[in-house]
Amino acid sequence: MSNADKHDHHDHDADEPQALPADGDLHGLLAEYDTPGELVEAARKVRDAGFTEFDCYSPFPVHGIDEAMGIKRTILPVLIFGGGFTGLILGLLLQWWTNAFNWPWNISGKPTWSIPANIPIGFETTILLSVFTTFFGMWTLNKLPQVWHPLFRNERFNRVTDDGFFLGIEAKDRRFDAETTTKLLSDAGAIGIDKIHLDPDPAKKVMPKWIFAVIAATTALALIPFAIAAKARNSKSSEPHIHIFADMDFQPKYKSDVAMDEFADSRANRGNIEGTVSRNPASLKADEAFYYGLEDDPTPAPEGAPVATGPAKRWITGFPKAVDADQRLMDRGKQRFEIYCTPCHGYDGRGAGTVPNRVAQGGGLWQAQNLVDPGKKLITIPNGQLFNTISNGAATMPGYAGQIPHRDRWAIVLYVRALQRAQNASLDDVPADQKGSIR
Amino acid sequence: MSTEDNTVDAGGSHHDDESSHGDIHAPGKAREAFRQVTKDVAWVAEAPKPHKLWLALFGIAVVLTMIGVYCIYVLVTTGIGVWGNSNTVCWAWDITNFVWWIGIGHAGTLISAVLFLTRQSWRTSINRAAEAMTIFAVMCAGLFPLLHTGRPWLAWWMIPHPNDMGMWPQFRSPLMWDVFAVTTYATTSILFWFMGLVPDLATFRDRCSARGQHLRAAIYGVVSLGWRGSARQWHRYERAYLILAGLSTPLVFSVHSVVSFDFATSQLPGWHTTIFPPYFVAGAIFSGFAMVLTLMLPARHIFNLKHIIKQNHIHAMCKILLATGMMVGLAYATEFFIAWYSGNIYEKFAFINRAFGPFWWSYFAMIGCNVLIPQFFWFKKVRENPVLVFILCIFVNIGMWFERFVIIATSLARSYLPGQWSYYSPTRYDVGLFVGTIGLFFTLFLLFFRFLPVIAMSEVKGVMPEAHAGKRH
Amino acid sequence: MSHENTLHPDEKYKAGKLGSSLAKAGAGIAVVFLGISLILGSMHPDGHMRRFLYSFVIGWSYIFSISIGMLWLIILHYLVRGRWVTVVRRICEAMAGAFPLIFVAGLVFVIPLLAGYQDLYYWAHPDAANPELNHTMIHKLVWLNPQFFAVRYVIYGVGFSGLASYFRKWSRAQDASGDPAISEKLRIASAPAMILFSVLTCAAAFDILMSMAPKWYSTIYGVNFWGSACVGAFSALALITIGIQRTGRLTRSITPEHYHDIGKWMFSFTFFWAYTGFSQFMLQWYGNMPEETVWYKYRLFGEWQWVSIAMLIGFWAFPFVFLLSRWTKRIVPSLVFFAVWQLVFHWLDLYWNVMPQYDWQTVFHEGQKIVIGPLSGNTAMHHVGFSPIDVTVWLGLIGVFLVGVGRNLTGNLIPVKDPTLGLSLSHENV
Repeated sequence: MSNADKHDHHDHDADEPQALPADGDLHGLLAEYDTPGELVEAARKVRDAGFTEFDCYSPFPVHGIDEAMGIKRTILPVLIFGGGFTGLILGLLLQWWTNAFNWPWNISGKPTWSIPANIPIGFETTILLSVFTTFFGMWTLNKLPQVWHPLFRNERFNRVTDDGFFLGIEAKDRRFDAETTTKLLSDAGAIGIDKIHLDPDPAKKVMPKWIFAVIAATTALALIPFAIAAKARNSKSSEPHIHIFADMDFQPKYKSDVAMDEFADSRANRGNIEGTVSRNPASLKADEAFYYGLEDDPTPAPEGAPVATGPAKRWITGFPKAVDADQRLMDRGKQRFEIYCTPCHGYDGRGAGTVPNRVAQGGGLWQAQNLVDPGKKLITIPNGQLFNTISNGAATMPGYAGQIPHRDRWAIVLYVRALQRAQNASLDDVPADQKGSIR
Repeated sequence: MSTEDNTVDAGGSHHDDESSHGDIHAPGKAREAFRQVTKDVAWVAEAPKPHKLWLALFGIAVVLTMIGVYCIYVLVTTGIGVWGNSNTVCWAWDITNFVWWIGIGHAGTLISAVLFLTRQSWRTSINRAAEAMTIFAVMCAGLFPLLHTGRPWLAWWMIPHPNDMGMWPQFRSPLMWDVFAVTTYATTSILFWFMGLVPDLATFRDRCSARGQHLRAAIYGVVSLGWRGSARQWHRYERAYLILAGLSTPLVFSVHSVVSFDFATSQLPGWHTTIFPPYFVAGAIFSGFAMVLTLMLPARHIFNLKHIIKQNHIHAMCKILLATGMMVGLAYATEFFIAWYSGNIYEKFAFINRAFGPFWWSYFAMIGCNVLIPQFFWFKKVRENPVLVFILCIFVNIGMWFERFVIIATSLARSYLPGQWSYYSPTRYDVGLFVGTIGLFFTLFLLFFRFLPVIAMSEVKGVMPEAHAGKRH
Repeated sequence: MSHENTLHPDEKYKAGKLGSSLAKAGAGIAVVFLGISLILGSMHPDGHMRRFLYSFVIGWSYIFSISIGMLWLIILHYLVRGRWVTVVRRICEAMAGAFPLIFVAGLVFVIPLLAGYQDLYYWAHPDAANPELNHTMIHKLVWLNPQFFAVRYVIYGVGFSGLASYFRKWSRAQDASGDPAISEKLRIASAPAMILFSVLTCAAAFDILMSMAPKWYSTIYGVNFWGSACVGAFSALALITIGIQRTGRLTRSITPEHYHDIGKWMFSFTFFWAYTGFSQFMLQWYGNMPEETVWYKYRLFGEWQWVSIAMLIGFWAFPFVFLLSRWTKRIVPSLVFFAVWQLVFHWLDLYWNVMPQYDWQTVFHEGQKIVIGPLSGNTAMHHVGFSPIDVTVWLGLIGVFLVGVGRNLTGNLIPVKDPTLGLSLSHENV
């Protein structure tokens, strides 16, 4: 026991000379103990005496004090479990809603709702919300932050975070009585007992006003960006965007036909550099029959011909010299036709491909051209024009110049001609020696 | 009383100063011991003028940070092209540094959480500094993924938010997992660290107000939230601390596992292997402990903390380095074995290329520093020599950097298409930025050392034999 | 509230006849169930005792894993100078010390392999060497062949038995001499022991379990096996400890505090198993490379998917949520429930690892019947194909394990002169 050095403290304990001019009501008693062990024993005695409004104060959690004081286990773990579970559900919901529901988007063939790939984030949100619950829940349950407290008015209490072990009993406890309680604490081995008074100024008993002011100001400041955003969304402005970072909106480059002082002619456009190879169709694609299906024509040029200047042109009716219309070309044409043309025009060219069929099933009105209908001009138009249609498209048909090389386009022309012939054939077209097999 | 002492002494640390404290039950003795701890820790922050060596180091750190700031300026205003990265080696120093830093951070969490759960009470002497290290390392780490996007000011698109374009982040991407893992980790580390700081900040508050420094007392008072060491508050505080430790442990595993997923979910030979998650975690702990020692050995010397950070704490950390070094070594061996066992020619080539290809020097730097160097820690004489331990730890730090470089750069430089093969060399901006993060890390760490309680006083007091003084049966 | 630091004077800590009765009971179980298994095995339509041997590998891996899990705990205990383990360490030593017997039991599948048995491991089948079918595994027949496999099996046997008996022998020597230097000696030995243990465990998992699907590979496999093994081992430790207390022994020394710790480890390893298992699955699923995903294809489709779902819920989610709580670990009936539960699921884990490889596909090639091996053919046709032999062999081998444990439960059931005993007795969880 360490009551030996009790006196030197007790002298000025008798009536605590507070630095403040006057004291308010009595808040309670604060007793100091020498060792953690004595604090635990004192706490046990105080509890056994029936007190409930008391607390121990120490620089570190003292082993066994919870049991001595009869502190109930906190419900914090239950709250945290709830927080973590909420985090898991929210994390998974977020990923499902964004990636599988609101904006489903195929990424490397993975299902939009990919549970294995969603687990890491689900795990992190679980942890995050658990941590938030732990941290904020602990402070809330502890009723902190609270930077004002009657105990802070006591000078001795400064040592609670250093080497002091205190036991405080509040005056509001129904068993509290200044004298008997002092005796109880002192019998338990206190090395010093102080009376703790509330601040005489009633304003200082509660949260200081300046804290309100700081909180209000911070909240107001934090709302400003949102207010600006809300205003911007709900109003019109002719001002350009604010470009904090220019990104690619303003690039250091010259557009065509603008002035530029660096050159003598003050033009940003420069002429051809020496050695430039012309990409003029006239020189590169001189074989007009092969590349455009055109030939020179004394009569006026047909409408829509690509070459606007120069001598008049007309569609060729045969095949260009560069192409041999033989069985090989026919086979090639069949193969290409079945790849590129059948989806719309069908295998027989009657326009019954899978695409129009699907459109019809869906109630649509669009139809593909019947290539072999004898009543249509497709039968009669020159080969050159057919070639041009494949190259550049017509009506809703897109051009296939990008996909099908020139020679293959001529092969398709040949095959289409063959289809037209075959689909509109009469018995006379059948060779005489095979007529017997037709029924 | 001797048995009583044993109960509070950590299983892992036999007190070497048992004779010095005498009878802890004698009146006033226990309080004297607690007061001594407070003084020993608080003087660093309370000294009116900083230590000269501190000033010198701080100056160097700030200069290094400035180099990094300049490199970031050039990077942001010019573009990613200032780095040595290419179409083939599209990740290089940037991601290497990211993984290296984040790995270093993990030791802090390990010390504060895992060692707490496994009741290794020697952790109390270093956990505060290690947690601070975690936060600063994560800050440095976070810079790299941010900068490597090329336009860091657009990074907020990774946060899911409703927008006019109806776009959402792509949550099936491991890089998005990274965003969540690293931010969760940073948040948790900061909250955990702050929670641990509160009682000690309250100590600073009370010391300042006792000396009449009212402004400092007010500042420390606000940040310590009015902590008054109440047993009812300690009760919830301890539960919360335990639970945070319990949450941080799987978190630290998940963070580095997610980092390893960045690589391992791909099909690139050398990246796609299932051991990556635990192997990365072990490597992270390994490099992190090396960094803790790198920081704490000089600090212990300069600030005279030898009686708090004791020799057996250094022993313990050296042994953890040895153990994790062996784990990493086992993972290297397993990878090599399976590369052969799998029968996958690309995988086999990737590993032969690592050891004998153009980057052979980095591979052997890695093996040398991570597997061979830690073998010195078998010897007690080595562990007792702080200078030697410091040097060996520097080597481990280098080795772990090379490990990430080997994985990232050598695998990318020799992927499936030989037509794409190339070599990688860093530019001065790569180097400068890395140096800059080292500067930033030390700047923050030195500031922490100057103004905050560097050692968790309340925790140290709680595991001292005196914490049980005056107990009767 | 505070526990004593010395053994209670009335504590019954002598094994007495406990060990021999346990061994007898174990022998009874082993003889009955292995006998039934042999009969059922010989009657099984697949012939060649094939089903029996597959079940035997599962059952053997089961007792093997429990034994090495406990060996790991002992080594770790010394390595980190642990405290709480000391009171139950003798029981751990008895469980780890079952190893030589487990080694002998394993000869039941190793000797047939050496004698040319082809139907257990595909790599032992002559068709495995067919370069047209198996060009990705021909090269590894250097590693996976019956002779070298047997050599490695002996290494594992000697290694694990040696480690277990070393720690057991010196721990017992301390009972007699009380020399604290022995603890120090074992602590120093624990570091290299841990390295040896890790290498052997990973290699054994590759050899005995992973090579069941010889074309498949996963670097994390050994770690995952170790995680599952420790779940089983800690559950078994809880059961055996509670069982010993029911006989009136050690009732004062082992308290809910120690159960709490055992429960914590069960919980941790449940999580760790899920973590490594998820890492393995997720990376192979995401990488989507056929040579890897094939292993999961056979487990996530058809009937096996239900086993996989059962594993996820039963081996992880359910125990995870409930073992989070403090009380489920401290109250004996609850701990018993979860220990039994996890022991069943640990077996199911091994079953899930091995049995999908049971069906081997055959093709006719140029008039010859060629065995392609496991994990080939139509997954939809792939049945779980549960057989009663699976369970009887398992129970029989548990009997073998109990014989091994019982033989070691002699003398003091607590290391009476261990310097850390006081700390362990007074151990408390925060």
